[in-house]
Amino acid sequence: MKSSLIAAVLLLLGICARADTVSDARARFRDGEYEQSAKLYEQSLEKSPPSAAVFFELGRALNKTGQEARAALNFRRALILDPRFAPARTALQEANVALGIPPVKQDWRTQVVERVPMDALALAGTALFWAGAFAVLAAFFPPAFRGRRLVAGILFLLFGFSILSVSWVCDPRIALANTAVVLTNGGTSMRSSPADQSEKIASLPQGSIVDLLSQRGRWFYGQLPGGAKGWFLTEGIVPLIPPA
Amino acid sequence: MTGNTMKRIFLVLAVLLPFCLRAQEVAVGLSGNQAQVGEPVQLMVTVRGARGADVPQTLSVKGLQISLTGRSTQFEMHNFKMSSTLTYTYLVVPQFEGEFTIPSFDVQIEGKTFRTQAMKLSVRGGARVPQQMPGFPQNTAPAPVPSGQPPASAETGEPFFAELILSKKKVYVGEVVPVELRFYFNSRIGGQVGERPNFGGEGFTVQKFSNAVKREQVVNGASYVVFSFQSAITAVKAGTLEIPEATLEARLQLPGKSPQGLGDFFSNLPIPQGMFTDNRDVTLKTKPMQIEILPLPKDGRPEDFSGAVGKFTMEASVSPKKVSAGEPVNLKVLVSGQGNFEGMGAPLLTGDEGWRSYPPSDKFQSTDAVGFTGEKTFEFALVARQDQTRTPGLRFSFFDPSTGKYSVLTQEPLEVNAKAGGAAPAAAGTPVASQADKLAPTPAPTPAPVSTPDVATMAGGSTSWASLFFRRDFLIANASMAVAWFAMLLILSIRRFARSRAGRELARKKLLRDAFAGLRVVEPADFYEKARDYIFLRLNAGDDDLAAAARIDSTSLPPEFKASLHRVIERHGETKYAAGGAAPPTADERQAVIAVLKELEARYEK
Repeated sequence: MKSSLIAAVLLLLGICARADTVSDARARFRDGEYEQSAKLYEQSLEKSPPSAAVFFELGRALNKTGQEARAALNFRRALILDPRFAPARTALQEANVALGIPPVKQDWRTQVVERVPMDALALAGTALFWAGAFAVLAAFFPPAFRGRRLVAGILFLLFGFSILSVSWVCDPRIALANTAVVLTNGGTSMRSSPADQSEKIASLPQGSIVDLLSQRGRWFYGQLPGGAKGWFLTEGIVPLIPPA
Repeated sequence: MTGNTMKRIFLVLAVLLPFCLRAQEVAVGLSGNQAQVGEPVQLMVTVRGARGADVPQTLSVKGLQISLTGRSTQFEMHNFKMSSTLTYTYLVVPQFEGEFTIPSFDVQIEGKTFRTQAMKLSVRGGARVPQQMPGFPQNTAPAPVPSGQPPASAETGEPFFAELILSKKKVYVGEVVPVELRFYFNSRIGGQVGERPNFGGEGFTVQKFSNAVKREQVVNGASYVVFSFQSAITAVKAGTLEIPEATLEARLQLPGKSPQGLGDFFSNLPIPQGMFTDNRDVTLKTKPMQIEILPLPKDGRPEDFSGAVGKFTMEASVSPKKVSAGEPVNLKVLVSGQGNFEGMGAPLLTGDEGWRSYPPSDKFQSTDAVGFTGEKTFEFALVARQDQTRTPGLRFSFFDPSTGKYSVLTQEPLEVNAKAGGAAPAAAGTPVASQADKLAPTPAPTPAPVSTPDVATMAGGSTSWASLFFRRDFLIANASMAVAWFAMLLILSIRRFARSRAGRELARKKLLRDAFAGLRVVEPADFYEKARDYIFLRLNAGDDDLAAAARIDSTSLPPEFKASLHRVIERHGETKYAAGGAAPPTADERQAVIAVLKELEARYEK
């Protein structure tokens, strides 16, 4: 009882501290002190759980200081936490224009995450799955075998599993777990082998995203959204989802 | 061994040599059965088992220019058996597109006529280089025999020398000028040559060298093996350009002296090369030369000129033709021809109001070894700001060195159906990175104003980077559900079994076992009651003495055994209902009853 009380008090204090820092950051932003504002947002994110709103506001402050690539990174992070956060999407598009990153056609996963909250979808799928599982169990036992109960149970089971699968595939926190952003000034080069003098396959402008497949020393092996694979230096490559 | 003995041995070898040669064979083959217009392929006639053959100097096929370019001989000796292979090489240069058949022709070997097989060659027009590539030296492909003007060094009869061939002496800044380095070695010289020549200098850039092409060439009556390397140079500033010497390292096996007193004899024998040689490391050098570099004229230079120098054509296509709001269309522009593709900027979009465009990606596909000829593809991603029925137009300017003037290529807008996009189409983490260098100067777009601060209150979403699937509470909840499901499965399974016939029988057997075991330890006053219960249970007679008695009578048990069972039931009545109670059973009596019940058990077990 005593320990629970202490934990609740600490949590409350944490929330209050964060609220203070974010409020301060917002005030600095309104006053045009964008760099200071960005620092305060970053401090807030270091101390507290991630928040789409704070990442968005951090991105906006960085954008004001001319750091489009870092701004785009934070807009992307805001969208990972809340894929339905339209202002972050618009801001990301504008940052991409500034960086010269072309847009791509939306795939079905993007359309799903923009319409349905992933956690709610996963919970609904889980509930349906277990309802189906228990219904199937009940159909086989006394007082008598129930065919309808079995069919309904199997349908619930399959439907719940399908929803869970969709949730797994679409959740950006899973889909983008190994994705990183190029923040190096002037971008970086993708090469055919992990050597400075090897053949250049592609240029990755600042703000480009890559899927990281493996690492060898100071080289990452990765894949571009277009499918091309190659090696690039680890310097300036920042994971989209911050490491724990 | 005296000189006379050696002479005799070699005389015998010389006599036997022709008999050791293998049977004569003639084979023909092409270096490739597909080619592009202007791209030479080699036709090789291989003659085995002969030291000479008569082959035609040219072959007449409409659309193909075929001429004999050289001959090479190879001797091999295995286990004192000598074989020779003669290779006659023809150069086949396609003149136009189509399917061609090179007809069979006669090869004369020592009076015998051998007929070759016909061959097919498919020629595509992709290279866009009909006839001779303008700008390329005339002898970029293996040279005909004899080849034009003999190199000056050949006149002196040197065993090896080098030359640099440059097709033009006056070129423009940025113009790509193909060059060829040729390194000549007298056919009697064996050895190894370096993989690539060393060539470079200030004021110009050099393309990567092609792989060496080896051929035979007769120069002033002497046969030479020629290694030729192709590349291209581009001058970077106007003025007189000094082109330094190009060098190639080689380790040569120069003819050495034959044993003393046998010089005349060996010179008359077809002895394989290398039998008497001196190894020497040499460096072949071309002569330095000067060319004049002209500046690009300022007069008539288009405003959008981005540095392309050469001769080009432009084509464009758009896909998809119909897109919904916010989705990009891909405008693909193909610039093909000859020139400085590396220094070329992207075409300019014209009339692109109402479109949001992005710097294009580009990709170069060369159709020759040095990147002089080819096609460069630019891909623009365009998003409509307003509803659009046509793409922007295109404009591409270049300087044509052959005319000394600027040219402008234009492309009319293409039909497309694009809806104006409101929301951004890019999803989190999915924009495509440019796949190649951005060669075009791209104006830096001005960052658009960002949204007002209070939009942040619209944000919701998760407060964890971990997906729900990896969160502890979710995993615990699901694990609990799984445990509950399996527990329920277990309980229901047990209940189902208990209700089944097998389950009931198992339970009854247990009861019987317990009842029988209880007889041995029960109090004497209760003995007959337990014995009666056991009989009732064994016979499924319920709890009624009369019904049990009727059941005993209806069985097929022996009469005396039935009487024993009746007696047990009667004794139970006596002990229960007689006034004052009956006397408890003696030990013998208990043993007798247990024996009866054991027999009952045994009979029912059977």
